[in-house]
Amino acid sequence: MGSTTGRKFSDIQSDVYDVVIVGGGVSGLTLAAALKASPYTSALKVALIEGMSLAPATKWDPSPDQLSNRVSSITPASQAFLQKIGVWDYVYPERVRQYDDMRVWDGVSGARIQFDSFQLDAAGAPMAYMTENLNLQQALLESLAEAPGDNQVKIFDSTKVEQITNSTDQLDDVDLSSWPAVKLSNGSTLRARLLIGADGVNSPVRSYAGIESRGWDYGQHGLVATLTMEWDDRQDIAWQRFLPTGPIALLPMPGGKASLVWSTTPKLAAHLKSLDPKAFCTLVNAAFRLELADLNYLYTRSDPEEIEAEFEWRDGMLPMEDEGAKFPVRVVEVQENTRASFPLRMRHCDSYVAPRVALVGDAAHTTHPLAGQGLNLGQGDVASLMSVIERAVVRGADIGDEVVLQEYWAERYPANHVMLGVVDKLQKLYCTDSKPVVALRSAGLEVVASMDWIKKLIMKQATGI
Amino acid sequence: MRPLLNNTRAIRHIRSYTYKTEPSKYPGHVPTNCLQKLFLAAGSGIYSFFNPRRGDLIATLGEATALPPLMYRLRDVMLSDPTGRRILRERPRITSKTLDIAALRKYPANTVGKVYSEWLDLEGVSPDTRAPVRYIDDAECAYVMQRYRECHDFYHAITGLPIIIEGEIALKMFEFANTLIPMTGIGAVLAPLRLKPKQRERLRTIYFPWAIKNGATAKPLINVYWEEVLDRDVQELRDELGIEKPPDLRQLRKLKISHL
Ligand SMILES: Cc1cc2nc3c(=O)[nH]c(=O)nc-3n(C[C@H](O)[C@H](O)[C@H](O)COP(=O)(O)OP(=O)(O)OC[C@H]3O[C@@H](n4cnc5c(N)ncnc54)[C@H](O)[C@@H]3O)c2cc1C
Repeated sequence: MGSTTGRKFSDIQSDVYDVVIVGGGVSGLTLAAALKASPYTSALKVALIEGMSLAPATKWDPSPDQLSNRVSSITPASQAFLQKIGVWDYVYPERVRQYDDMRVWDGVSGARIQFDSFQLDAAGAPMAYMTENLNLQQALLESLAEAPGDNQVKIFDSTKVEQITNSTDQLDDVDLSSWPAVKLSNGSTLRARLLIGADGVNSPVRSYAGIESRGWDYGQHGLVATLTMEWDDRQDIAWQRFLPTGPIALLPMPGGKASLVWSTTPKLAAHLKSLDPKAFCTLVNAAFRLELADLNYLYTRSDPEEIEAEFEWRDGMLPMEDEGAKFPVRVVEVQENTRASFPLRMRHCDSYVAPRVALVGDAAHTTHPLAGQGLNLGQGDVASLMSVIERAVVRGADIGDEVVLQEYWAERYPANHVMLGVVDKLQKLYCTDSKPVVALRSAGLEVVASMDWIKKLIMKQATGI
Repeated sequence: MRPLLNNTRAIRHIRSYTYKTEPSKYPGHVPTNCLQKLFLAAGSGIYSFFNPRRGDLIATLGEATALPPLMYRLRDVMLSDPTGRRILRERPRITSKTLDIAALRKYPANTVGKVYSEWLDLEGVSPDTRAPVRYIDDAECAYVMQRYRECHDFYHAITGLPIIIEGEIALKMFEFANTLIPMTGIGAVLAPLRLKPKQRERLRTIYFPWAIKNGATAKPLINVYWEEVLDRDVQELRDELGIEKPPDLRQLRKLKISHL
């Protein structure tokens, strides 16, 4: 059994591990938790290295009026997996908000589509669970802490991976020469039977393995912020409007709050971040409610009072019956220090595996946030890699063997490739206001919007169930 | 088997757009559907072609052919400019009540107000000769059309084109290049059919090139708050808007006649 081999190493040399995970983001922590939750792999000796401090997650004390700006939508498939590995029970339920209705529209033509689980005969089934990444991280760390003392994942946080080389050591009868040696900023070097790159988009593990990552930058930034709504809309709706500069999405959070992801040009993102908070809220409202011409005009203004007055004038002309059906409730406040922006890109690795190396999550692929899939694809990777490792352990195979790992790549690559491709095409289709393109995409959307079976198909893909 | 698209909202949407008439959206609004607009356009078009002085028919033709996307485009031009927005917000009207023509006559020479009043006197027209908009279905677009119509005399004043048929046609082309209102283009293309070959030649070689170039490169005239620039120097405003004064049509005609 693989576990025996693991124990043997731990007896002999303290810095030799079965699995070394680089990256304490959601993907890395989930893999660690899954390894510890499975009866087949729980005895493996596992280390996790994270460059930043994990204290904010372990010591997280959620206060009701403060919400982190890093929020993700968790699909039912990801939620089911977290449930299965016993992590979901540690998630603060009061910090999770489900939604079962999604309204998406074209900012140029106004063409709309609605996904509503009631309409699609899945009454009450959530489409996604919104929660702070911190909530997941603290739940993952909590569940890791529950493992029996001698069997815990060794966590090195505030510790950077400085270099990865091929080990030259010989340990008893085992030849370690093919094993990655991970040199840490604390001076120690870990040797890994299997090295996991869960180290994000600039993955050092990927560079070590010489895996090529292809893709392009979208030339957009994703601006995130935590917002307070005028009142808590009891309808649980996720809103997204495609503007030619990029989509803007408003996702419901507990307690009448919402999470904003506004993809836009880097220049506008910088402007929006520096804008007076009140004026920023007004622009968010304008981005959902007003005509593009109004919005483009408001981008050029910076006097809060003028922005307010211009908005009120145009907003007052909207038909009453559209309230609550076509646009979200108004935003009234942005939580201090929550406006941040990230460059958006698409990346996909040629391979996720190399001898003794596997990549998961953003290290393997990065996508535009318009479909809220990034983190969920990483969860899918972890679930797949876990079953491959479990099978190898049961067979008594070497979990670092590339042939074993190939199975993981073969299963995940096509699925991720399709999702990345669809998101990429959507991004390109909607980031234009060229008349013929707008006409075609709007006609297409109206057809899709009127055919429930297509909508069900799309929902199935997006929720992963 | 049922046709696949029979039931789609898209088709229903097109149907309702074609046949359904909306309720009235503003005072004086006569809601019409697509088919009715087609008849209006055909009727007023044919009639006004033979009676080009029938301003009311030309107005009807203008409204019936004002395709919503083009009207929204023009409205967006206004929404993109601080002054344009102020005009849309305040919706000023130009009538003999809102404009004191007698006072304008006393303005210094070469001011916008003076030139405009001279223009009105010379051609014997008044701001009140403009018909109210009735057939445009969006209240704001209806105002945009109204505004364009009421400002038309200012366009004459600032370009210096005369109200005689050739000046009118040249101005129409200028307006088309500047506003994209379909009617102005229709007028500029169809009206010359009634002219003598020599007049047509002049339009083609001198006035249309001027109109297209200036109309397209000048700032949108719809964004000029004429009521606020009455005391400005005409040439200064012309420069600011990027309009070159066209060759004087009447002088050119006299010149040609004396050459013969
Ligand atoms: C604006 C925005 C909105 C998003 N919204 C959603 C959403 O709604 N739903 C969704 O599913 N996804 C969303 N995503 C994507 C999601 O956030 C990411 O896909 C996910 O967080 C990736 O997790 P990860 O663990 O793979 O990588 P990361 O979270 O990037 O973790 C990598 C970790 O590795 C560590 N690391 C890197 N290098 C080293 C080193 N040399 N030594 C030690 N440690 C190292 C880093 O410190 C980091 O903690 C969004 C992304 C953005 C930008």
